[in-house]
Amino acid sequence: MKTNQKTKKLAEEPTSLLGRLLRGASWYGAEWYWTATGAVILAIIILVTIFAPVLSPYDPIVTVGGPFERPGGGQVVLLAPKDSGITSPEGLKVAVYYNTTASVVAEDYGMTPRPYQVDKDLFEKVRAGEAQAVLISARDAAEALQKNPDFVQVGEPFGPRFWLGTDNLGRDILSRLIWGARAVLAVAILSALFSAAVGIPLGLLSGFFGGWMDRILSLVMDSIYSFPGLILAIAVAAMLGTGVINIAIAISVVYIPTYFRMTRSQVLSIKEELYVEAARALGAKQREILGMYIFPNVVPTLVVVFSLNVADAILTEAGLAFLGLGLQPPTPDWGFDLNKGKAYLPRGYWWPITFPGLMITLVALGFSLLGEGLGEILNPRLTEE
Amino acid sequence: MRSLGRYLLMRTLLTIPMIFVLVTMVFIILRVMPGDPVKASIRPGAPQEYIDEIRHSLGLDKPLYVQYGEYLWDLLHFDLGTTLSPVRGQSVAEQIWQHFPATLELSLAAMLVTAVVGIGLGAYAAHHRRSLADYSLRLYGIVIYSIPVFWLGLMFQLVFGVWLGWLPIAGRISSLSAAPEHITGLYTVDSILTHNWPALKDSVLHLIMPAMTLGLYLSGVFVRLTRSNMLQVLKMDFVTAARARGIPERTVVYRHALKNALIPIITMLGLQFALLLAGAVLTESTFSWPGLGRFLVERITYRDFPSIQGTVVVFALLVASVSLLVDILYAWIDPRIRY
Repeated sequence: MKTNQKTKKLAEEPTSLLGRLLRGASWYGAEWYWTATGAVILAIIILVTIFAPVLSPYDPIVTVGGPFERPGGGQVVLLAPKDSGITSPEGLKVAVYYNTTASVVAEDYGMTPRPYQVDKDLFEKVRAGEAQAVLISARDAAEALQKNPDFVQVGEPFGPRFWLGTDNLGRDILSRLIWGARAVLAVAILSALFSAAVGIPLGLLSGFFGGWMDRILSLVMDSIYSFPGLILAIAVAAMLGTGVINIAIAISVVYIPTYFRMTRSQVLSIKEELYVEAARALGAKQREILGMYIFPNVVPTLVVVFSLNVADAILTEAGLAFLGLGLQPPTPDWGFDLNKGKAYLPRGYWWPITFPGLMITLVALGFSLLGEGLGEILNPRLTEE
Repeated sequence: MRSLGRYLLMRTLLTIPMIFVLVTMVFIILRVMPGDPVKASIRPGAPQEYIDEIRHSLGLDKPLYVQYGEYLWDLLHFDLGTTLSPVRGQSVAEQIWQHFPATLELSLAAMLVTAVVGIGLGAYAAHHRRSLADYSLRLYGIVIYSIPVFWLGLMFQLVFGVWLGWLPIAGRISSLSAAPEHITGLYTVDSILTHNWPALKDSVLHLIMPAMTLGLYLSGVFVRLTRSNMLQVLKMDFVTAARARGIPERTVVYRHALKNALIPIITMLGLQFALLLAGAVLTESTFSWPGLGRFLVERITYRDFPSIQGTVVVFALLVASVSLLVDILYAWIDPRIRY
């Protein structure tokens, strides 16, 4: 089979794009699969961001959650008799006070509300068999549980309605993940574009013309490059404040030197190539040499740098958000969701911290794999065996 | 020896412009860029005189070039100013000095983890090149780098702290009264020096998870570096010669070759120091580890601008001095480098 493929490869040139792509696998081996995996992950993520309104089951910033302990106002809690064995709100007949949040929300959970006037004791009604459980506001729950020790709170953040559970404010985690992809990608790509827009031209000019400007720029860029990026971003973000643009700027400052250094070193080596010499001999202007002969040859490297840079930017954004320097809440932001979920970790609530972290890893991995793979494919000379 | 001395001098002199650039960068970020640190640090509705008084005490009412001059002058005297909030008037330098040992202890422990895991696995991958293990380890290098370090920490906390209950999830020690007598500030070292065995056990238990988190995060880079360095060294003549003499393959790879591959890795250790510090900030926040990183983040929430500035400057000095140190070490180990 394998030899057959190889002879076929030599015999005829596959003309379709897919054919050429698939042939790539046998040329490049492992790197090709890395690139492909990265590309597939990213394609899925990008589709998710585009179709977020369709895919997301709930509004990411609205409390829709199941009966799950939620601090803050306006939430409801399901209290059931200890020996009832109730674990899910689905299909329950619940006692609620007439015209309260609980009575409105009950139906959303798939429960049948049985409203009572405020002076009635809901727990007595349940004991009398008129309802199976009590649905009351989270604020009153603690006191009610003290008065009625034979009841327990049903802590069920999962269910057919919430695949990945709900967070501390009863918001659907899946919806927050889907909408969060938009925010995170926007910040990361924007910041990478900012850095590229500053770093590449400076690197081109610095490498091409040299001189004292080159020395000073190199010193400045090398110094920034040596500094811990996250700490630099923290300082900038702390001064600029939250918001998509501000955070993107804070992150972009960190990565300008990456573009500068890469572009400059490439220009320095390409400048010595024979074809540049030839262009010069033919009387090409400086601008033409830089724009038409040097820059196009720097681009393949920059594609790789860009991809790896977006991966880094995603991680930096997540780090900033985890430290509380992310987007303005309640905008869905994976890093900030981890920050909030951390407080509930000692109680064993694993779902609010597991899924956002997985998403960050997945997207960063997608860009990393794409960048690494492209790097090996586009610049085979750089590959150390 | 003369050439080593000259190299040291040159290299040290080169550090000065680097520190100057970094320190200037901090000034630009904190003073020139938009955003009023004083207004942000105090409660809204404070009287204007009070704001003016603070601005005056910080010298923020002077022209920028005067501020810059004073800033550099103060730094030359290691004067980092005094805090604004939550308590006004504490020495920033003293605060930083108090938090530094925790960061140092965490960093050293993490570097140990990184060295063992990263270099060990990297050498193994190079030894078994193009095997399944090699590809898996290369993938490990990419995957571990894509995992947010704080999330790795949270997952460790969940599994080993909450579910299994083996390790404490926050802090350096169970209670401050259990802390060993202050000698170096490193709890593990202090408890050994004072023969305080319960404190040693307690501080080691607290150290394991943060050190593993930060160490594994950095190990990915080292797996890749060690692997590529080892592959180069394994192609060299002395390796072939050693093999020809019939020395067992394991000895050739892990003793002869690895020893030589380690030299450039030391330089890399210096370059990755910045990554270590950035990772430490996040790890400290995850594990409530009372080090410099957590101090910085805490002061950001208070908008305590002198502390933020001081901590960032100290980080810059740390980076510059470590890179200097590593270069000196490198020159000392490898005489070829003294050009």
